[in-house]
Amino acid sequence: MELEKSMVVSEFLSKGSVLKQGAEARVYRDVFLGRSTIIKERFPKKYRHPLLDEKLTHRRTVQEVRSIQRCRRAGIPTPVVYFVDYTSHCIFLEDIVDSVTVRDHILATRQRPHPSPTLEPLEPLAARVGRVLARMHDEDVVHGDLTTSNMLLRRSGEGEAELSLVLIDFGLSYISALPEDKGVDLYVLEKAFLSTHPNTEPLFQKLLESYAASSKKSSAVIKKLDEVRLRGRKRSMVG
Amino acid sequence: MHSSHPLELFPGRTVTLMLFKCVRNPAELRRSAMGGQITAALINPRMLVDPFQVIVAANKAVHLQTIGKMKTRSLNSEIIFNLSPTNNISEAFKRFGISDADDSVLVVLVATGDESQTLADIKEKVDGEQVPMEELPMLSDVTQIRKLYKVTPQEEKMGGLLDSVVCKMATKDVM
Repeated sequence: MELEKSMVVSEFLSKGSVLKQGAEARVYRDVFLGRSTIIKERFPKKYRHPLLDEKLTHRRTVQEVRSIQRCRRAGIPTPVVYFVDYTSHCIFLEDIVDSVTVRDHILATRQRPHPSPTLEPLEPLAARVGRVLARMHDEDVVHGDLTTSNMLLRRSGEGEAELSLVLIDFGLSYISALPEDKGVDLYVLEKAFLSTHPNTEPLFQKLLESYAASSKKSSAVIKKLDEVRLRGRKRSMVG
Repeated sequence: MHSSHPLELFPGRTVTLMLFKCVRNPAELRRSAMGGQITAALINPRMLVDPFQVIVAANKAVHLQTIGKMKTRSLNSEIIFNLSPTNNISEAFKRFGISDADDSVLVVLVATGDESQTLADIKEKVDGEQVPMEELPMLSDVTQIRKLYKVTPQEEKMGGLLDSVVCKMATKDVM
């Protein structure tokens, strides 16, 4: 009976458009229950032992769903989960329409000939990101894949100049209270941030300052971040 | 006046909703539903924010039925159970099913193909006034919904009540 269900979902998915494919999952976009939806399919990995693959894939799916809901209840913006199929490991999520990634926004902003060529216009955004991450870590949610491509800016309401920040892709996320894990989370972001957006150290610094000011448990986390930096290499959290 | 929604994952199956106000025979309806004379889910509109909430519950119910993993005994009771934020079945029936004191009811029918006859049959059994689905928000008890689903103010501010409710429904198995 499980096979039967997987086929129903895969038939549905074959009609949608594949947005991207990673090592872990395929992402589709389609209309589901009247809404534009992102479907994240963790497909079977043939190179793994089947029993292990099933357990791992199931666990990752569950962790992702749990992290999203945990963030939501604390008011951290994430896509809504509409439906989870645990037989085919598919998560049906809200498609955040009318949005840009923070990555693209920063790139676009830096390209425009500005009155001042400084990073000043981007400081409020950096501060906002810092605040959101602080709230997330205070909920003991570690994102696991923090990059500026995994943060969206969407128009919030009519005529509001303010774009609201949404965190996406909780595929590598998990629950942890350890400052070490949160420190690594920030380290991953720092590396990604500085490589994608060269010469933005002051901007990232602003982000960290905002984080430190917003999180109740930040000092331990920042301390660990410094330690990890000194170590000089990423600590791989991917199993 | 009823509204129908196809279930994309289950081609050919649709969810049809009918909303009734000023219902004078809730006890009889409840007995009919439990007895199997009415093959639809009868839901208390007070706990509903939007039809989407019901469609999400119906989709999950059909999915679980297809893989043989329903928690309740029938598709219709499963729809009611899926609306609940908890895993307690009797509590779900109490809160989301209709009681003898209710005066409005939402009829939910999951069908394959043309069910116009069944719809007409059910409509005949309801001693009440059918109204368009647009009137559903007027029958919602937002305070009770917030309380039952434990929606925090920051959660509602961030994404709205409907999204908060739907997400809780969709993720309750693993929380």
